Amino acid sequence: MAGGPIPILKIGPTLLATIQIDLHDTVVDAFQNDVLEEIERTSAKGLIIDISALETVDSYVARTLANTGKMAKLMGTNTVIVGMRPAVAATLVRMGYFMEGIDTALSLEEGLELQKIRTTVPDTE
Amino acid sequence: MQDGRGTNQIRNGSEPVRQCYTPLPEFYYDYNSSTTGGAVMHGYQPDYMEILKLDEDERKKRLAFYELTDEDFKRLASLRPFADRWTHEITEGLYELLMGQPESRAFFPDEATLARVKRMQNSYFLGLFSGNYDINYVRDRLRVGAAHERIGMPPKLYLGAYRRYLALIHMRLLDHFKGNESEASNALSSIRKIIFFDMALAIDTYIAAYLETVTRHQAAIRELSTPVIKVHDRILLLPIVGTVDTARAHQIMETVLLQVVEQQAKVMILDIAGVPVVDTKVADHILKTTAAVQLLGSQTILTGISASVARTVVQLGVEITRMHTRSKLSEGIELALSIVGKKITSKSVRGGGEEF
Repeated sequence: MAGGPIPILKIGPTLLATIQIDLHDTVVDAFQNDVLEEIERTSAKGLIIDISALETVDSYVARTLANTGKMAKLMGTNTVIVGMRPAVAATLVRMGYFMEGIDTALSLEEGLELQKIRTTVPDTE
Repeated sequence: MQDGRGTNQIRNGSEPVRQCYTPLPEFYYDYNSSTTGGAVMHGYQPDYMEILKLDEDERKKRLAFYELTDEDFKRLASLRPFADRWTHEITEGLYELLMGQPESRAFFPDEATLARVKRMQNSYFLGLFSGNYDINYVRDRLRVGAAHERIGMPPKLYLGAYRRYLALIHMRLLDHFKGNESEASNALSSIRKIIFFDMALAIDTYIAAYLETVTRHQAAIRELSTPVIKVHDRILLLPIVGTVDTARAHQIMETVLLQVVEQQAKVMILDIAGVPVVDTKVADHILKTTAAVQLLGSQTILTGISASVARTVVQLGVEITRMHTRSKLSEGIELALSIVGKKITSKSVRGGGEEF
């Protein structure tokens, strides 16, 4: 487990990070580092980032999270962002930020399900 | 008895009115109750002082614009004996005009009403000569305007009656200041100022009331404009009918996102069959909504795309290939069902339920 303020848990082949504190620039940068190191250490197949507790997400945080997803992808790990709040989604879209290439799910449960589908049939792509 | 009750109700509801400009007798507020059921029926009474931002500063500005000076106030106060002497005649003269035309006569259906409004008119007239035109005076004048607006008295009659009013006052002034024409004209000038001051307040009330109604209707329309329907477990449908402007597009997005999360919908079907014109702006709004729904982890299906809409969208170069689209709503529902892993199948007609 990494030492940052956001705990990253391993459940089977999947890493789960639940963000429950406000993401400042430094926090999100540290988070990115922690996640990538965990992926390298555990060779996890999937990563779920739960942001249901976040009431605001600024463009820097959104970009960093999306980039983390892309970086994870390069390491063979699929990322799903779950639980985004309506207001956050509306703001991001209005800012023209669509987080393309990142999987999303309504809830943690669905994120896990989606992750299962993605990680069991990786060779068909 | 009924009148008494009406008065109490209104009095309870609006405490500050009790301190308003004094010459108004009790029956003043009954004006409404006799014709429309009064404030009891209207329940909601907007605070026009608030809406029109009528504070002390605004009152002073208005007085200045109508060139009402201390001199005018003194002159008006000094005319009080004149007012006391002639108020009855002037009121009678005014109602001669109002009762002479069928349109205005309709507002005074019976003798009792007529007697009451005449008494009110007398006190209104005396109010013009109080010499005290403070914020309570303004509040009282707004109530006069609001009362006229509420009973549906059109401004043309209201202003027309004022015209007669001024003529009657002028006539009496000439009598009163026999020979002293300059005094009479000074008096008339002061009276005219305060009457125009009053009229402006009343007309402002008319406009504010009208705007208030429009605003309320807009809110009602907004509520009706985004009816999200649950088609099936985790499938929602939003039929969009009518023009989509920016404000409505924002509202649609908000409702869609909230509903998707609240109902944990997998699919949101947007049916645009009822949107008359789909231009780049509308398409952009739909694309943004779709993108936002995707961020939540759900999907949208756009249905109701007619041949002409399809043509326009492609000709405009709008990139909507990222979304699921179908021409018919029924096809959209089928696609949605397949996304959640369900399917509509035909029931064997002959079997009569044998497969279950």
